[in-house]
Amino acid sequence: MSKFARMLRQAFTVARRDFTATVFTPTFLLFLLAPVLMIGFGAVGGIGAQSIVGDDSQMKMVVIAPPAQAPVLIETDQQLRTLFPKKSELAPPPLTIEAPTADPAAQARAYFDSDKFDAAAVLYGPLDKPEILYARRGWTEAQYLTQLAEQSLRAQKLGKAEPIATVTQTVVQRGQGSPTGRGQAASIGVFAIFFLTLFLSGQAVGTMAEERSNKVIEILAAAVPLESVFFGKLIGMFGAAVLFVLFWATVLINATRLLPPEVAGSFPSLIAAIGAPTYAFLFIAYFTMSYMLLGATFLSIGALTSTQRELQMLSLPITIFQMMMFGLALAAANRPGNWVETVAQIFPFSSPFTMIGLAGSSPVLWPHLLALAWQALWVAIIITVGARLFRRGVLKSGSPKRRSKIEATT
Amino acid sequence: MTSELAVSARGLVKYFGDRRVVDGVDIAVPKGLVYGVLGPNGAGKTTTLRMLLGIIEPDQGQRSMLGYSHPRDASDLVGYLPEERGLYPNMKCREAIAFMGALRGLPWATGRKRADALMDNAGLGHAKDEKIRKLSKGMAQLVQLLGSVVHEPDLLVLDEPFSGLDPVNQEKLEKLIRAERDRGATILFSTHVMAHAERLCDHLSIIAGGKVRFEGTVNQARAMLPMKAHYTPHHNVEGAASLLPADAFREGDGWRFTLPESGIEALLVKLIDGGYGVSGLSIERPGLHDAFVRIVGADALKDEEEAA
Repeated sequence: MSKFARMLRQAFTVARRDFTATVFTPTFLLFLLAPVLMIGFGAVGGIGAQSIVGDDSQMKMVVIAPPAQAPVLIETDQQLRTLFPKKSELAPPPLTIEAPTADPAAQARAYFDSDKFDAAAVLYGPLDKPEILYARRGWTEAQYLTQLAEQSLRAQKLGKAEPIATVTQTVVQRGQGSPTGRGQAASIGVFAIFFLTLFLSGQAVGTMAEERSNKVIEILAAAVPLESVFFGKLIGMFGAAVLFVLFWATVLINATRLLPPEVAGSFPSLIAAIGAPTYAFLFIAYFTMSYMLLGATFLSIGALTSTQRELQMLSLPITIFQMMMFGLALAAANRPGNWVETVAQIFPFSSPFTMIGLAGSSPVLWPHLLALAWQALWVAIIITVGARLFRRGVLKSGSPKRRSKIEATT
Repeated sequence: MTSELAVSARGLVKYFGDRRVVDGVDIAVPKGLVYGVLGPNGAGKTTTLRMLLGIIEPDQGQRSMLGYSHPRDASDLVGYLPEERGLYPNMKCREAIAFMGALRGLPWATGRKRADALMDNAGLGHAKDEKIRKLSKGMAQLVQLLGSVVHEPDLLVLDEPFSGLDPVNQEKLEKLIRAERDRGATILFSTHVMAHAERLCDHLSIIAGGKVRFEGTVNQARAMLPMKAHYTPHHNVEGAASLLPADAFREGDGWRFTLPESGIEALLVKLIDGGYGVSGLSIERPGLHDAFVRIVGADALKDEEEAA
């Protein structure tokens, strides 16, 4: 067996132990379901925030018009509402038609003081010269009432509110991805890899703590090169991360099948410039590299800490570092062709984010092969340097060359 | 080095900071023997073993293991029990042993089967599916030892293997070491308790202050000191002292003294002619303990007494 094959075998032995020790525990279930907790807390927070800001279900638009005009206004309102997706937040609030009193202007103003509902906008007066009052957040509703008056007047003149044109609508899938679709594919790729890495790679920081606390490191260091130990631990943690991603990807894919067609129909526009299968492959490859790069760095730094407190103190700089890499990748995405993009593509820690963005917006393949090789090289460099620092700092194994120099100078 | 040596080291030097903890150690461990590295606490035994195993690099010197110039290349052929015991507390015993074998290239399935057999032989069959954290310290130590032999290594390195074990488990461990030697493995172990070394070692090095003070067999070590005699006169115990060597001192109902270079016969004739008679006479070879104290110095005795 060659040296490299043996190192790989040893790394996978360590990885297997770490993977099973991580996955077959109740704590992993908690980790797996963490997004549910996150979404749950988010929902609770949202409900709380909504109750503070105010409930939109109390919002109404009011048209003050004679009862004779009510049917055409209702029919036109129904026609106009087809422009908005059902139950969309963009859809205007319900419309109420009220008969005018002797002073419609005063009547209209009075609705804004009502304690039964919140008037967003109120229309009164003849439809060809209507007056519209609207509250501070009711500009959109005012525009809607303007269109309602315009279309109702036209319907009145035509004698019917139904559309005159007979329109045939057909859904067509874009072949190469629109500029917007490409941009979305790029952004979603960058965001997805960033968040997955943010959530998952930070856990590598404490993986050597177990071996250090229970002295297993001595057994490992005697049997296996430290590089294999580091790489194995990284693979073990990555395996757990992949399990997490697969679980949630399965949940999300199945959940999208339950989405309304108008929402689900927007997904085909995310087709990446490089093509969907290649993009999917590159997404997996860049996620792997991003995890390995940041994971190897955190693992190496974490391995050098001597106490749990030091380990905990590292979480903030780690998050800040990741945010910086994300910021650099986003800056690169907004400045295609700029030096910032080149820097972000070359700098190993931002490279995976930036390159998945490039895969979304550009069909050229070869830069990705180069980038993946470059990133893999850096994973190897970080693991090697991390293992050497660990050997020197923790196992107290100095360098013979350095010692010779010390002796020569003394 | 020759292929007859399992381990060879020449001029090993190691600094920790400015302290030279290992100072030019030479070791040659013949294959198939039990070789002891003896020394007081802090002598540099563990550091020497760690350098031999490639866990740490020496600052100077060369070493080879089982014919490989770097110990790392021989790691699949070596078993190691470190001084600071370490196991994953949540692993089951069988898995822990199989894992240690897998690190050295033994397939997991084979490792599990051998783990079962080893645990049965060691009287730990009931604990195969127990988690390590539920074991006593002595049992965990035995499990770790079984993990270091599960891949049937050519060389077994044990660093202070008896520390922390009760007499029953010490006996089990001695039995296991002999079984490994009988299988053909070379055993290199460190200790500062002479009784184990005396019973087990074919060959030994005594290290103190980072230097090798003695290298040879147990008998060679003991031969560094003259034999002792214990003589009990038949009459006039006190008077017999006038004919005994100058270092004679009272012990029990007789006298203990260093055996004269001329032998015991001439002295016995004098004592009988002097009318003291012989009620008892024993001639004893000095133990390894005495040789160790002589080689290392009085400080080592203090360390050993503390450890005992």
